[in-house]
Amino acid sequence: MSAPTVEAVVRGHGAATRLVTDALAVARPTSPSAVVVPAVPDLRPLDELTDERLATDVGDTLDAVLADVRAVLDGAVHRLVFVLPAAPLMATAGGAAASAVTGGVLSMARTLAIELAREQVAVNVVAVDPRATTVAALAGQLGVLLGEGGEAITGQEIYLTAGTDLGRIRP
Amino acid sequence: MTTTHPSGRTAIVTGGAGGIGRGIVRRLAADGFTVVLADLDETAVHEAAAEIGGRVEPHLLDVTDPASRRSVVARADALGGADLLVNCAGVLRDARVRRLEPALFRRLTEINLIGPLALARLVGPGMGARGGGAIVNLASRAWLGTFGSTAYSTAKGGLVGATRSLALELGPRGITVNAVAPGFVDTPMTDGLPPEVRRRTLDAIPVGRAGRPEDVADAVAFLADAGYVTGQVLVACGGRSIGDPYLARAS
Ligand SMILES: NC(=O)c1ccc[n+]([C@@H]2O[C@H](COP(=O)([O-])OP(=O)(O)OC[C@H]3O[C@@H](n4cnc5c(N)ncnc54)[C@H](O)[C@@H]3O)[C@@H](O)[C@H]2O)c1
Repeated sequence: MSAPTVEAVVRGHGAATRLVTDALAVARPTSPSAVVVPAVPDLRPLDELTDERLATDVGDTLDAVLADVRAVLDGAVHRLVFVLPAAPLMATAGGAAASAVTGGVLSMARTLAIELAREQVAVNVVAVDPRATTVAALAGQLGVLLGEGGEAITGQEIYLTAGTDLGRIRP
Repeated sequence: MTTTHPSGRTAIVTGGAGGIGRGIVRRLAADGFTVVLADLDETAVHEAAAEIGGRVEPHLLDVTDPASRRSVVARADALGGADLLVNCAGVLRDARVRRLEPALFRRLTEINLIGPLALARLVGPGMGARGGGAIVNLASRAWLGTFGSTAYSTAKGGLVGATRSLALELGPRGITVNAVAPGFVDTPMTDGLPPEVRRRTLDAIPVGRAGRPEDVADAVAFLADAGYVTGQVLVACGGRSIGDPYLARAS
């Protein structure tokens, strides 16, 4: 008999929020779970990254991610997944601020995976690409990470990009 | 190995009065650079410049202050313009995520991530106009994740992410952008570690010793002139990131 489904918490206002909620409707998590979808800034050439923009796009965005993480950890989750856009995570011209955020969240996830292992919290990153990641693809992945046996996967980055990232060095 | 370059090239080294920064300044000065040694610590800035000697210009810098950032770039412009920016200023103070003060998290983002990005924006146009240059960002192996290090590893991971995208953006202007990720290096930053943590850390380093500022300076000097290497992270950690960095904790 399979474990009962529990509702997952979704935090953050990233572009993939709708994709995540649609996927969770199908995924049927069985562990107390949270999915954080950071609001990654738009691409912008370096010359336009003014001091004010850096403060908001990078500083405020990362602050919001930390606040979301703290909020979900207060709720005693066992699985935490960050959903990030694959393009800035892999690197893209004009993406200095966006990649500062996605790279920062990736390392935060790795640190949390190490730190929270003793509390049996598994932490992972799923990278999505609007051209390649379907609701079914994300639902399948979240089903694994948030379902039975998902505790064996932690500190990982999983690219749901249909191979568009192949041939590139990952961060 | 030290090589002398024909040029009168100019470098900015932020955090130049710190442990690793001094090693980098010393090496770049020996390699023929005029170095703007920039740091927040006023006494140490002058003391370090005097200790190293040569064409080293002490400059007071707070990487979190926009006016101060502009002033260090103006100082380099007066010397012909920065050919090399080494973003080495950094702060390590942290806590486990549940105890981490949001203000500390923000402070580390500003010093370790936003400061370097803002300086890259300020030097980029000049470097491009002069036909190119190099930016080297001091990341850390904490980018791979480190216990109790949410703020520091987030900032350093952000710096690695930005390094990669900046390499793509600035490559067409002849500017390389790379990161060096040191492991455990003996400096004032790591002086305060409890002896037990220090011992366990050393146990997990395959080459059997702590890093020295010169080890990191070697990597920076290489990247300063490696015109065909960009967007990379050069991990200088004595092999700790290949073996099990938590080896000692488990045993
Ligand atoms: N020591 C290590 O084991 C280690 C490991 C990995 C990465 N790093 C990185 O290497 C760099 C140098 O570290 P270190 O070990 O020499 O540390 P350090 O503490 O000896 O030197 C850091 C220097 O940065 C300066 N600084 C701090 N805040 C500043 C600000 N707002 N503006 C300008 N300067 C400021 C300090 O005054 C200091 O001189 C840092 O970026 C650090 O994160 C160090």
